[in-house]
Amino acid sequence: MRHPTDGTLRRLVDEPAGVPDADRAHVAGCPVCLNGLAAAQADAALAAALTATALTCDASPDVDRAWRRLSTATEAPVRAVAPAPARRWRTALRSPVVAALGVVVVLGGAGAAAAADWLQIFRTEQVAAVPVSTTDLVALPDLSAYGDLQVVSEPDVREVADGAAAREATGLDVPQVDALPPGVTGSPSYTVGGQLVAEFTFSADRAAQAAATAGETLPSPPPGLDGSRFRLVAGPGLAEVWSEARGIPALVVARVTAPTAFSSGVPFDTARDYLLSLPGLPDDLAAQLRGFTADGTTLPLPVPAELVTTSTADVGGRPATVLASRDGLMTGVVWVEDGVVTGVAGTLGEDEVLAVARALR
Amino acid sequence: MPRPQDAVRADLEHVFRADYPRVVAVAARVLGSRDEAEDVAQEVFLAFGRTAVPAEDAIRWLSVAAAHTALNVLRSGRRRASREEAAGGGVGTAPDVADTVVSREENRRVRAALARLPRKQAVALVLRHSGLSYADVAAALDLSPGSVGTTVRRAESALRKELSTHASSD
Repeated sequence: MRHPTDGTLRRLVDEPAGVPDADRAHVAGCPVCLNGLAAAQADAALAAALTATALTCDASPDVDRAWRRLSTATEAPVRAVAPAPARRWRTALRSPVVAALGVVVVLGGAGAAAAADWLQIFRTEQVAAVPVSTTDLVALPDLSAYGDLQVVSEPDVREVADGAAAREATGLDVPQVDALPPGVTGSPSYTVGGQLVAEFTFSADRAAQAAATAGETLPSPPPGLDGSRFRLVAGPGLAEVWSEARGIPALVVARVTAPTAFSSGVPFDTARDYLLSLPGLPDDLAAQLRGFTADGTTLPLPVPAELVTTSTADVGGRPATVLASRDGLMTGVVWVEDGVVTGVAGTLGEDEVLAVARALR
Repeated sequence: MPRPQDAVRADLEHVFRADYPRVVAVAARVLGSRDEAEDVAQEVFLAFGRTAVPAEDAIRWLSVAAAHTALNVLRSGRRRASREEAAGGGVGTAPDVADTVVSREENRRVRAALARLPRKQAVALVLRHSGLSYADVAAALDLSPGSVGTTVRRAESALRKELSTHASSD
């Protein structure tokens, strides 16, 4: 009989039941076909190995998180927006940039100042964008490389019925938008979150391990840093979300009690300078962070430079940072006033976003 | 980001929870990057949510769509630009596993080789290696079941040649 085709030999490799008996019998006794089968097996194994790397070496994807993300695009925005912040904040806490900031930042707030043994080392008075490349981010270890991170209090993000309820839940004035930009209509939904408190305990051993993994030697920590605790507090906060008919947020106005950080004893600049000197942080990024955080009142906002452009503007006499995605989809502006961070963002142009921001009451 | 139509099929969550990992796996075979594969899976399920594809055909439909969408990403060189990442979300901050296992260079060459394959061959290869049966691949690509093996065989052979040619010329 004629030799079976290459396609038949290929099917013998991984679905032999689909190959007719006569072909199988032929191949078993034909040196030419057995050679062909071996080649097919080798090529199949190579292709499997080359395309399988991302699958076999990793845990399965986080389906819950992925479902929430999809819900953002398919469902009413409130359900979608509400669960996200807690996870994002937690992620932010673990972000290497946060670590680089000397544990100082990201989620600060008010109430923890009452704790007597905590020294306030950072309070947000303004925001500055720090362009970070994806490469920088990938190069950095996460916060757990430097010590233990515990979330003391979750923000309990939830939807409330109206502006009055949002104000009652957060104690913050709810920004009033009098004139909506073209294309944005209807009433907003309201989401609130309580205070998020996280504590980080610096471990010299852990940091040394991280350094060793990177093939570097850890600079010796300044006195008192090993074992010292930092408390990061943010919130409460609220968001008003206007949606398009199809469920995509068209305009978001959010207000959060500004992030604050407290230390169990080590001064801010000591912790900052040390952490900025750790291996793994690119020099130019460290220099920028050092510059921005010189006074302990500027909250650096890590911005992926490949995706987002930043500029500055003025909102009600306050310096504001404007962020625009390079694909033109999103624009946002953020500023700080009296210890409160306010942001306006949407699928809008910069002029429209600034007009809303400047007209907020 | 694609915008959903008004109605989203009622069984979307059920299908999503059942099939999401497999859909990510199909896209990851093409892209070699979990993060990018998850972006593709989002796009694919968004589209699926607007279809009336019977639930029993869902995984086949989703796998084919994932393979095509991922190949489109590969060919266009489209970068990730999700709002989450633009907002500083953590999805892009972990090093890709593929990069730690295969060298970046090899990973890049595999992706380039996949992008150069004829579309039908590339999809057949990815679907078969993702576990679809010969009959499923045949139905998905409008091939006779007998020619699936031939198409996959050609794709694998071309992949090997592409890589050995480029490896020796590097």
